[in-house]
Amino acid sequence: MDILKFKNFSWTYEGFNTPIIKKINLTIKKGEFVGMIGRVGAGRSSLCSSILGLIPHFYPGKFEGNIIVDGVDVETSSLSKLSTIVGLVFQSPTNQLSGAGTTVEEELAFGLENLGIQRHEIIKRVEEMVKLIGLEKFSSRNPFELSGGQQQKVAIASVLIMEPKILVMDEPTAQLDPLGTKLVFDLIKKLASKGITILLNTQNVDQLAEFADRIIIMDKGEIAADGDARSILTDITLLKKYGIEPSQLTTLSYKMKEKKLWNKPLCLTMKDAEEMVCEVMKR
Amino acid sequence: MTPIIKVNNLMFSYPNGVVALRNINLEINKGEIVAIIGHNGSGKTTLVKTFNGLLKPTSGEVLINGVSTKNENTAKLSKIVGYVFQNPDDQIFNNSVYNEVAFGPGNLNLKKEEINKRVLNALEIVGLEKDKKMHTLDLSLNKKKLVTIASIIAMNPEVIILDEPSSGQDHEGTVKIEALIKELQKNHTVIIISHDMNLVSKVASRVIVMWDSNLIFDGDKRTAFMNSDLLKKTDVSPPIITQLAQKIKGFRKDILTADEFIDEIIKLKK
Repeated sequence: MDILKFKNFSWTYEGFNTPIIKKINLTIKKGEFVGMIGRVGAGRSSLCSSILGLIPHFYPGKFEGNIIVDGVDVETSSLSKLSTIVGLVFQSPTNQLSGAGTTVEEELAFGLENLGIQRHEIIKRVEEMVKLIGLEKFSSRNPFELSGGQQQKVAIASVLIMEPKILVMDEPTAQLDPLGTKLVFDLIKKLASKGITILLNTQNVDQLAEFADRIIIMDKGEIAADGDARSILTDITLLKKYGIEPSQLTTLSYKMKEKKLWNKPLCLTMKDAEEMVCEVMKR
Repeated sequence: MTPIIKVNNLMFSYPNGVVALRNINLEINKGEIVAIIGHNGSGKTTLVKTFNGLLKPTSGEVLINGVSTKNENTAKLSKIVGYVFQNPDDQIFNNSVYNEVAFGPGNLNLKKEEINKRVLNALEIVGLEKDKKMHTLDLSLNKKKLVTIASIIAMNPEVIILDEPSSGQDHEGTVKIEALIKELQKNHTVIIISHDMNLVSKVASRVIVMWDSNLIFDGDKRTAFMNSDLLKKTDVSPPIITQLAQKIKGFRKDILTADEFIDEIIKLKK
């Protein structure tokens, strides 16, 4: 089932002459984990914002074509309607947390209260969510007193608790330290195994190699490549063309091929690389 | 030779009593490239702020070229120690690229020709000669970062501190920053604060690790990447190729590049 569909979608911010997104056609199926990558300024963040409807309902500009999210037309729908379908996680947790709650539990309950959900249902969902993100010890702490990584987990949880059908994450670990990044990716790993539809925008090829089924490369407002993760992320010529650095593991296998030490497909994951080295050493 | 930065038994606590630095001792010599790594809140930024006098030691001392920062003002120290912010938008406030880079030297009582010379030189080093008339708001994030670095180069400080120079940069931006750091080392001492271990492994030789207000490691980067207790404590992962080498029996544990890895394979197969 198609959960997200862009049809000839273009977007031009007010005050600009040229569109930042140009005639995009893209379909994402339910349950897919799609990674998005490309240069700074390729239009990736704008594409993320358009799925939740921040484009065109919050940012002014010229909207052309269609975006259909779970059967709902983004252009004619409203942010409040779209927020029940799409969850968008921003780079910085401080942009996300409402500040309406003085504890992690209250912060998580905030969105559900606005939907008029029954109290016992809210309590149940909050408890489940606190457990899922592994913040049981911090549930009565003020979210703004937590570390950056923990705050980003609360921010993701505050989005997930609305039970969105599609989760869009726009460079969710760009501002986090290694510990924060690890905490967030442990959570993303859990979500991926639950089959939630995810669109992850990131610069980190190693993260995508581990999680994504499918990769989209954006360049100058267009989709430059779209395919299964392994074939895209091991295509060194393609990656270089769009300013993306391949994983060091892929580069290693590429260089080993050049030196005639390896003649099989290029490596993507740690498992591939370990197997390659074992095989080469045995010979 | 007097170290350019010497820190003796440095303690720093904020006015609310929170201790941010405990008993720090270190020396940085002219021409070094040093990377400071550690968790958010471990004291990295607080430490470098004591180098340009933005923060003064609660006890102990920081000596810049042998002179204590205690009685020196930041305006004077910033001529010796320049600090480039993590987020360019926290630093940039002039409308054109030229004016932004000219602002610092404009405050140094220099002749107009000298200011012009310094601005053009700094823009050339970072590769923005053609963008000098651009409005700073119209620049990409990659270029904004280069403008903030150029504006510090134009002050010609002996030490340049770069806070998270690769954050928010795409691959091409990061490659430029790497080359630029190596270029800066020719005439400056460079200190980088970074979570990006690929960058650290490429440009720095010495690594300082901060943890919970303490300096817990100061030494060679390869030694740091082999120290599993240190890495675990600070949640730092070495570059993925180093992780691979550490998983393979009999391999050197301090491999940093694909070429080193291949050399090791060839050596072991002989």
